[in-house]
Amino acid sequence: MAELTKTAPASGMENKSPSKGVGANTKHGIMSRRTKGDIIFDTLNTIFMIIFTITILYPLLNMVAVSFNDGLDALKGGITLVPRVFTLKNYETVLGKQNMFTAARVSVLRTVIGTVSSTMVTALLAYILSRKEFLFKKQLSLLYVITMYVNGGLIPVFLVYKNLGLTNSFLVYVLPGLVPAFSMLVLRTYMNGLPDSLAESAMMDGAGHLTIFIKIIFPLCMPVIATVALFTAVGQWNSWFDAMLYNRMNGDLTTLQYELMKLLSSVTNQNSSADTMKNTQATVTPTSIRAAATVITSLPIIILYPFLQRYFVAGLTIGGVKE
Amino acid sequence: MKQIKRAAAFTLALAMAIGMAACGDTKGSGKSGNQKTETVTTESGETVDVKVFSAFFAVPGNELDDNNVVQDAIAEKIGAKCDMTWLTGQTAEEAIGVMIAGGEYPDFVDASSGMANMVDAGAFIPIDTMWDEYPNIKNFYTEEQWNTIRAEDGHVYIIPQFGNIWDHDTTCVHNDEAFWMQTRVLKWAGYPEIKTLDEYFDVIERYIEANPTMEDGTPNIGYEILCDDWRYFCLENAPFFLDGYPNDGCCIVDRDTHKAIDYNTTPTAKRYFQKLNEEYKKGIIDPETFTMNYDTYISKLSTGRVCGMVDQHWDFNDGELAIKAAGLDDCTYVPVGIAIDADIEEHWHSNSALDVSNGVGITVSCEDPEGAMKFMNDLLDPEILTMRNWGLEGVNYNKGDDGVFTRTDEMRKNADDQAYINANLCPYAYFPNYSGMDHDGINGCDANHQATEFYESLSEPVKECFDAYGVKTYVELCNPAPENEPWFPMWSYSNALTTDTPEGQVWADMASVKHEYLPKVCIADDFDAAWEEYLSVYKEKCDVDGILLPAFDAEIQRRIDIAEGK
Amino acid sequence: MFRDPDFGKKLKNQKSLLLLSIPFVVYVLIFNYVPLFGWIMAFQRYKPRDGLFHSEFIGLENFKFLFRNSDFIMDVRNTLAMGVINLVLGTICPIVFAILLSELRFNLGKRVVQTISYLPHFLSMIILTGIAFDVLSMENGTINNLLLGLGLVDKPVQWLAEPKYFWWIVAFAQRWKETGWDSIIYLAAITSINPDLYEAASIDGAGRLRRIWHITLPGLKPTILILLIMNVGNVLNVGFELQYLLGNDLVRSVSETIDIYVLNYGIGKGNYAIGTAAGIFKSVVSIILIVIANTTAKAMGEESLY
Repeated sequence: MAELTKTAPASGMENKSPSKGVGANTKHGIMSRRTKGDIIFDTLNTIFMIIFTITILYPLLNMVAVSFNDGLDALKGGITLVPRVFTLKNYETVLGKQNMFTAARVSVLRTVIGTVSSTMVTALLAYILSRKEFLFKKQLSLLYVITMYVNGGLIPVFLVYKNLGLTNSFLVYVLPGLVPAFSMLVLRTYMNGLPDSLAESAMMDGAGHLTIFIKIIFPLCMPVIATVALFTAVGQWNSWFDAMLYNRMNGDLTTLQYELMKLLSSVTNQNSSADTMKNTQATVTPTSIRAAATVITSLPIIILYPFLQRYFVAGLTIGGVKE
Repeated sequence: MKQIKRAAAFTLALAMAIGMAACGDTKGSGKSGNQKTETVTTESGETVDVKVFSAFFAVPGNELDDNNVVQDAIAEKIGAKCDMTWLTGQTAEEAIGVMIAGGEYPDFVDASSGMANMVDAGAFIPIDTMWDEYPNIKNFYTEEQWNTIRAEDGHVYIIPQFGNIWDHDTTCVHNDEAFWMQTRVLKWAGYPEIKTLDEYFDVIERYIEANPTMEDGTPNIGYEILCDDWRYFCLENAPFFLDGYPNDGCCIVDRDTHKAIDYNTTPTAKRYFQKLNEEYKKGIIDPETFTMNYDTYISKLSTGRVCGMVDQHWDFNDGELAIKAAGLDDCTYVPVGIAIDADIEEHWHSNSALDVSNGVGITVSCEDPEGAMKFMNDLLDPEILTMRNWGLEGVNYNKGDDGVFTRTDEMRKNADDQAYINANLCPYAYFPNYSGMDHDGINGCDANHQATEFYESLSEPVKECFDAYGVKTYVELCNPAPENEPWFPMWSYSNALTTDTPEGQVWADMASVKHEYLPKVCIADDFDAAWEEYLSVYKEKCDVDGILLPAFDAEIQRRIDIAEGK
Repeated sequence: MFRDPDFGKKLKNQKSLLLLSIPFVVYVLIFNYVPLFGWIMAFQRYKPRDGLFHSEFIGLENFKFLFRNSDFIMDVRNTLAMGVINLVLGTICPIVFAILLSELRFNLGKRVVQTISYLPHFLSMIILTGIAFDVLSMENGTINNLLLGLGLVDKPVQWLAEPKYFWWIVAFAQRWKETGWDSIIYLAAITSINPDLYEAASIDGAGRLRRIWHITLPGLKPTILILLIMNVGNVLNVGFELQYLLGNDLVRSVSETIDIYVLNYGIGKGNYAIGTAAGIFKSVVSIILIVIANTTAKAMGEESLY
């Protein structure tokens, strides 16, 4: 099938020169002869990155400081990188919520199950749509692309899910977001760039599409799979609206973010009147609680990220071996 | 290909079927089966089964822990408890809209601003058909008051929970709107009698001139105007107060003709905004005032550098707590009852009013309406009321030989600690409750209405200020509130307006024009030109005289008629 | 393709592809298209009591209302302006950042910077605006201090009171928050560019900038194009949180977006129909933009969405 013309590959992988020990390290390892231009470039680049990092980091560290500071005291402003009135109260308030453990477990479960299933299924769809011989690839793609821009609205969606029996159920965390069009497009773009010869030779050997997808294509896509999985995982981890909308009355299906939202809206007295103030005497403030909640919820992803980052690099190495 | 088409057709049909099923099921009926129960362990170690009801309140609120001490104690006494959920990250209309569409409700709902839709959708069961056996509910309001609550079909579906005074009002704080001023400013000025807007700003101007900074060098700010979204009442609604009218919120109601008057364009409004404009140019008003959001506003107040502002006390309570926490006791605020001219009697403080537009109701999904009625009835039992509002004797308060409740410092601290509250206290805040006195006739309904408790909490500068003015409470700094008029408060009407109706549309347009032009008026170089521009846009975009005021008039008349039993 | 000698075999393959794709068709119809029956609402005087199937039909009244309303027209303009700014900067910044990062010489530095760069993504808009207020404040705000220190201004600028700055403040805040996160996808794409190409170019004496221009950018092209086309459709989806939280009455004429309009007039006042009509308007515009962008890309022989 080598006679078939290929579209321009996404990556430089059409260049089949044997790659040994491919990785980010080698890329710069070879550039030992630095020209004057290189030195200027590197210096400017480094300076830029340092400024950039400070710009990003300072407000974040400030937020961490606020999260360890007394809430009312923090309202006075002027906190920089160290807490002025140190307290763990904000964290105690956030973590001290009674069903935090249940909520964290559901959050972890939905993130793991949701991400794994979504990534696998979406990759399969991307594979189907990346098959150039597939007759309906255009129509099916379009069907999914449109979903990024249309939305039936809160109530119709609720009615549909309710009739599918998804309310009061864990499945509502997994099924509705199973095939994000964005992820599909990213995966498909990458797969389009893979050499056709890979699948074709396997097909010659009598392998079916599912086999090719699982055995050949999926492993080759590791960098982009890692990216898509990261996006999905963050989305799953951060979402709370579905927990509130569909599983409000079921405490066993609550999620971490929903519990945090509840905590926040109980300290934020939006639309409050004199009477609602009765049961909400604030010793922590929305600002301090928000800071603590942000730190707590971003932590797992921050810890997870370096592992995923590895895949961005390792993905190609595996691909190279397979090839 | 054909197979594909057939498959597609099939899928489409399936999809449509699901969509159709969705519409047929909007009037869901309650599940069959018995009321949910739960086992509660009493103090003596016995276990009892209690009924567990569910409730949703479409306002932000605080969720209690499971096994909340007072909640369980109440459950043990009355054999029932209620799990409550609150509004989170949604508007009340959205949350209620979804519930109505799904046709399933918790046993109790307070729909807040979604109330009209709930009643409309037939989601509540009538209470008045059952209440003969539940006297605490039936007698919660007088017959006349119930009449104002009745829906168009003559039934009572909701019970407004708040503002029902037992015996007499005992509140010591002015939790409402006022021009506030720091006690340090008043002290510096020698506690003058301040009667008018001009005098109010005069004191601040002189203070700022003499004291440009605080002790630590932070510049003082003369005056702040919060105008973040719905909180822009701090900018816009002072004119009717300055004219000596109470907080009807959306209009002035002429006490003789019973006609609504638009306060946005009155001569008083012009004088008020002109004053703001002058003070802005003089630098008394914070130049950042119109760009700050609520968080920034609270932060600025918290530093203690802001001399004064108009606001509702509950709106800046957080800021005042921070001032106290920082030990800046002379920077807390007292209300200054002023009007536009000295001969006008101000009316900032009002008695609590019955807000008939909101309340808690029992929904059609409730499987045990009698039990639900009994639950609410029991919650109004004097013994239970004390448990809801004060907590447990010996734990949350002590009872003296004379029957007076007192609290130790630790008890007070606990009552302010959110984690302690969640684990221990259960006010059932959105179920019917009394304010004013406790049923024992000795104590206030809760610690905030207990004179002894109130005095304990006052700081020295505030006490000194109170002495200078010869008062004992915040409330006394304003004129005593006269009897509420039958139409009061009109905001319960304007809050319920929707853009579906012409008057609701005008109401929305009005807000939009005022949001855009009033800040411009305040900072304009040429006040008169800016004011004229505001007036002309206002008149062009909002037909207040033709549509809105007649609607207000009709509502005023309706309320008067109901009060007179017509 | 159909004249391929292996046509028979292809058809057979096609069959299994078709079988595999059927669940995806069913899925997307049920979860994404069936709920569109809710669009009926936009043509009704919708009342929750009557539901979708018993509310009174009023044709295009809701749409007419929108387009006769000068506030809505103003909000469309603001949304478009902020959307276009965001589209341009949101495409360029992450690409430039990803490339610069990949050119960083120290591996540890590279990883650290990248990890830090995506952290702001996890901040809520409320925290973000808190930071923005601090930075832009007239009293000791970082930017005013900097400008005063450098002698560029003689009194503090009231950044948030001036309509002319507002769109750029929003754009900058968005870029600060999302540049690192958005660059992840480009970084992943850069790692899959064959290093041998760089080596070859290097041997040919190409400088750093030329290597970026001739190897990195072409390698990224399919990714860039796909995301660009996709984001063209999102021009009207600039959201409301940031504008709502940063905006104030003085800059209202430039800060209000369609979503804020819907919030104020639709949901806030219980008028779902207006909200739905505005949503349909946005969807239709998005789809038209996507079709144009996609057709253009196709005509130029480039990667396309469908």
